[in-house]
Amino acid sequence: MNGVLVLMEQRGGKWNRMSFEALSAGQQLAAKLGTECSAAVIGEGADTLAAELATKKLAKIFTVQHALLQTYTSDGYVAALEQLLKQAEPAYVLLPHTYQVRDFAPALATRFKQVLISDVIAIHDGPLFVRQLLQGKLNADYKHAGTGPCFVSVQAGTFRAEAVEAGTANVESFTPQLEASQIRNQPSEPFREAAQTVDLSAAPLIVSVGRGIGEQENIGIVQELAAALGAELAASRPICDNGWLPMERQVGSSGQTVSPKLYLAIGISGAIQHLVGMKGSKTIIAINKDENAPIFEVADYGVVGDLFEIVPALTKAVLAAKS
Amino acid sequence: MKILVAIKQVPERDTQISIAADSRWIDENDLSYTINEPDAYALEEAFQLKEKNGGEVVVLCAGPERVTSTLREALAKGADRAIHIEADDLGERDTLGVAQLLADATKSESPDLILTGLQSDDLGLGQTGVVLAELLGIPHATIIMQVEVTGSGLKVKRELEDGWFQHVEMPLPALLTIQSGGNKLRYATLMGIKKAKTKETKTVQAATATTAQAITLERVYLPEKQKKTEMLTGTPAEVAAKLVEKLKFEVRAI
Amino acid sequence: MVAVARGTTVGARSMTAALIPGIHLSATLAEPAHFSRLEKISLLIGIAISLALFFWRFGPILRTILRSKKDTDFSLHPIGRRVWDFVWEVLCQGKVIRQRPLPGLAHAFVFWGFLAFALVSLNHIANAVGLGFLNPESYLSNFYFLFAAAWAVLVAVSITALFVRRFFVRPIWLGKKVSYESGVIAFLIFLLMVSYLGAFFVDTSGTAVKVLWWTHTLTLLVFLPLIPHTKHLHLVISPLTVFLKRDGFSKIPPLSGDEDFGLVAGNDVTQLISLQVYSCVECGRCTEHCPASNTGKVLNPKEIILGTRSYLNEFGPASETSLLTDTREVPSDDPAAKYMSMEAAFECTTCGSCEYQCPVGIQHLPIIIGLRRGATNTGAWEDTHGTKLFLALEKHGNALGMSAMERDKFIQKQAFPIFDGTQEYCLWLGCMGGYDAKGREIIADFARVMQYLGTTFGVLKKEKCTGDPARRLGNDLVFQTMAEFGLKAFETAKVQKIVAICPHCVRTISNDWREYGIAPEIEHHSEFMARHKDRLPQQNSGESIVYHDPCYLGRYRDVYEEPREIVAMAGELVEAPRSHERSFCCGAGGGLAFLGEESGERVSHVRAAELVGTGAQIVGTACPFCNTMFRDALATMGEAPPQLLDIAQLTARALPASEIKTGEQ
Repeated sequence: MNGVLVLMEQRGGKWNRMSFEALSAGQQLAAKLGTECSAAVIGEGADTLAAELATKKLAKIFTVQHALLQTYTSDGYVAALEQLLKQAEPAYVLLPHTYQVRDFAPALATRFKQVLISDVIAIHDGPLFVRQLLQGKLNADYKHAGTGPCFVSVQAGTFRAEAVEAGTANVESFTPQLEASQIRNQPSEPFREAAQTVDLSAAPLIVSVGRGIGEQENIGIVQELAAALGAELAASRPICDNGWLPMERQVGSSGQTVSPKLYLAIGISGAIQHLVGMKGSKTIIAINKDENAPIFEVADYGVVGDLFEIVPALTKAVLAAKS
Repeated sequence: MKILVAIKQVPERDTQISIAADSRWIDENDLSYTINEPDAYALEEAFQLKEKNGGEVVVLCAGPERVTSTLREALAKGADRAIHIEADDLGERDTLGVAQLLADATKSESPDLILTGLQSDDLGLGQTGVVLAELLGIPHATIIMQVEVTGSGLKVKRELEDGWFQHVEMPLPALLTIQSGGNKLRYATLMGIKKAKTKETKTVQAATATTAQAITLERVYLPEKQKKTEMLTGTPAEVAAKLVEKLKFEVRAI
Repeated sequence: MVAVARGTTVGARSMTAALIPGIHLSATLAEPAHFSRLEKISLLIGIAISLALFFWRFGPILRTILRSKKDTDFSLHPIGRRVWDFVWEVLCQGKVIRQRPLPGLAHAFVFWGFLAFALVSLNHIANAVGLGFLNPESYLSNFYFLFAAAWAVLVAVSITALFVRRFFVRPIWLGKKVSYESGVIAFLIFLLMVSYLGAFFVDTSGTAVKVLWWTHTLTLLVFLPLIPHTKHLHLVISPLTVFLKRDGFSKIPPLSGDEDFGLVAGNDVTQLISLQVYSCVECGRCTEHCPASNTGKVLNPKEIILGTRSYLNEFGPASETSLLTDTREVPSDDPAAKYMSMEAAFECTTCGSCEYQCPVGIQHLPIIIGLRRGATNTGAWEDTHGTKLFLALEKHGNALGMSAMERDKFIQKQAFPIFDGTQEYCLWLGCMGGYDAKGREIIADFARVMQYLGTTFGVLKKEKCTGDPARRLGNDLVFQTMAEFGLKAFETAKVQKIVAICPHCVRTISNDWREYGIAPEIEHHSEFMARHKDRLPQQNSGESIVYHDPCYLGRYRDVYEEPREIVAMAGELVEAPRSHERSFCCGAGGGLAFLGEESGERVSHVRAAELVGTGAQIVGTACPFCNTMFRDALATMGEAPPQLLDIAQLTARALPASEIKTGEQ
């Protein structure tokens, strides 16, 4: 039992880009351990994708294909991959920490009486796998102590997909033994929700405007920035109170509670009623003229200055970056 | 329909933590505990299913004596019965070990449906539910937004990434891990607390761990980089350029 | 007639005059000399019928009151206060007159006239069966008759005035519905007076005196049964209501036993509540001052009282039918249903104007909060914002749902010492002072004032909400958890004296917590600063400052002058049109600061407009909740709204700059 095997994720012949981050992690771990790194692609279209992988520095590429693997099911993946791992016998199995991996990898590890070390943010010598505990308040070093393969999933953005080393590799196809009766779940086609009027709580990007904007007619510059970013427009209570924007766009204790990837607060001082509605945002950027504004307490990036100068400049820069 | 909800007691989210002397876990003195938030949503889903389809909601929790307070809260919010797996050594058991305890206690109950939160607030491994299903040999689905009981089993709405969803049909018995925030939680009431006093809590002793852990927690420590506001300065154009840089590479919004 | 009355009060026994030719004026009351057997029997039958009709209605009311649940916490103590309230509110009609001087005085004249008349009326009836005890021949009796006559004139004039007001002036708070029964009653009272006065103008023999006597008697006999059938029931029971009302303003009674969750159904209505709702005179003072009613919301405190009364009449005091119409089957066209709805009950800011104004001793807050308890303690109240608030309190221990670490950070930044028993005061931060940006400014400024005065203080290491919003929204579980946590924290830290910037915290700690233990002595920062004002810098800026009385400081704690003393030190004190006991709420109380959008106009906007209307340069507040409400409201008010400052900030402005040492201690 040796080597590192990276299980790549794809859907409908398209990579999940996190797969290459896992691949990068796999190559680095293999280098650290002085062993080889291999990869596996599962499902329909694996051949085409494997050809792309053949230009990477890998020992081997497995294409795992079966009629019952066309759509993802946990039962199908676990059964197929159990067989693959039993044949390939890797010492380490690396996966991207995606929703799909979270669905099947714990069960796969259980088949080998192992426990997945999930959502890893760094790999140190040992190897020690670093995970975050208590919502990031604490880091922890985990070590594999079992006798079977060690399963590890890596957090998005931890390893750089660009760092994957190039090389050549052979493609080997693997056909697992599967019965239709083994697959108990019947998934339907993925879908997106029909667009709602305004659902700020589901918006990944929000540009929010506060009292610092001064006049209703000034809101236009913020609207332009939101449009440039493809973000939803939101506001603090006074703006909606004035009727400058509809109530449904209000964020705060009496409005909506949001937790987007980006919350860009413009001219919002950050009264508590507002903060409770957005403090869960992943990244908060604040632009305000008052350097003591409480919004800066929760912001990741802060800009002290005149929003009437900064916002148009930012809109221009965003449009330039996108084109 | 008999629904079993596996819940976990975790340190309160906003308590100040300090690292224990042996650096293997946090100092538990003076720590307040509460129900793992994703489990609270699983419990709420169970209540709503019971309100729609009838049946019974049983809560299950492994841990030392202190977890009974969390079980009592679950009873106060509407659970019918509670099972406490008394174990003082959860720190020495890995996910597989804990799931095995839960599986042992579940077998005699033979529930139609098992619900649990998608991950825990403390360890955040996000696996106990799936491993439990695997040990029990029942199908599972994770990160579930909606549950609908159909004639033959369940139809669930599963969350995929980037705003995509998927419906999955599955037979019963089954296990689901429930996504947080899909339901509105209910508040505890005086009436609930009083009723809870009359409800049954069964205590079972945890079997001694027989197998060694597959993974071990070696050391915990404070992350070096604390969240700090980075102030960006310069002319408007310079600031804009810096912001775009952040939006591109840190936030990945462009 | 007036001239005569004036003349007769001199007391000359047989003073006669012929002011108008043909009419014999006598200073003596004429009583019929003889009653026939038929007359006597008719009278007795009349009395029997009148009494029967009276008790036909009064009996069930009395039974309803007596069969209501006992008030387990009731005690006659303090008797002195009860006697004083009785003398002032009932005998002197103090409240009635103070709140509406002219109609109040008219009402008082009618009331005092009735008291004067009690003896006369008794004698009047007794005469028929030869048991009269006031002899017109005696000096003393005659004097009394003349005394009563003087009152009769005042009553007749007053009731006429009240009649004109009700049916022609028609103030809106009397309701849209015209109360014809009031007209009938007014007419009867007028008739009683006139028929009494008339007897001074006739001979003791002849038919005129008989006609007058019978008119007076029949009026009395008709009047009596009307009492329990109309709101004039208050004549009989409100003196008792005033005497027996709960001791203390907005006193929320403890829940008794495992089955008590507040006012869920009829069987939760206590005797005091029953007595109070039957005492209502529908005067509308509560509605007139209610911030909810005044801003177009459903809540109408008068209708809550009348709704409870209608419920008791329909279902009785043992019923298990829910009191709130939301949870019971009601025809959709029942207009009364909306008033007893959950929506209405949860629109109350608990400002206490209604309870404060009520002239017959009705205590609205225990009833409204009781209804909320019934809904919340059983989980029947499902409100997104309410649930969010309760979960925040359950999980984070503060109403704002912030991480307790935010408070720790603030304490560190300000370098506030942790209370360790060596300091004189424990400075209570509260949710606003600990987590809200503006509240923190107020706390920081007040800390500077304390430092300037050389008063030592420390803050608690861990502090949770007092449970005020949970208490007022009827969540006894959360309230109890918070109260017990706080009591233990004070005990462990060995705190002796507490000072706080928030009137809600002060009230809840000093008063509501008593259900679970006794907290150390606590005062509001206005009281603290006023006590030390001689040592504070006097630096009157000359700016005009309008002071807004917070409900929980004024009506709840009776503190009106101390904050004004502080304001007057900083500038020119201006009074708002509604101030002191009649101050108009900011809209935040009763947990409403956390409940999201209001229907109708915003209470805070109405009040802020009133304050801005005084033309003052500064709005002075003494409560961080009022402050945050006005902060939002003033922002929508045109070009240059007045500055908004807490009294601690007004004081801190005058401190010498060297005293600004927060954070570098």
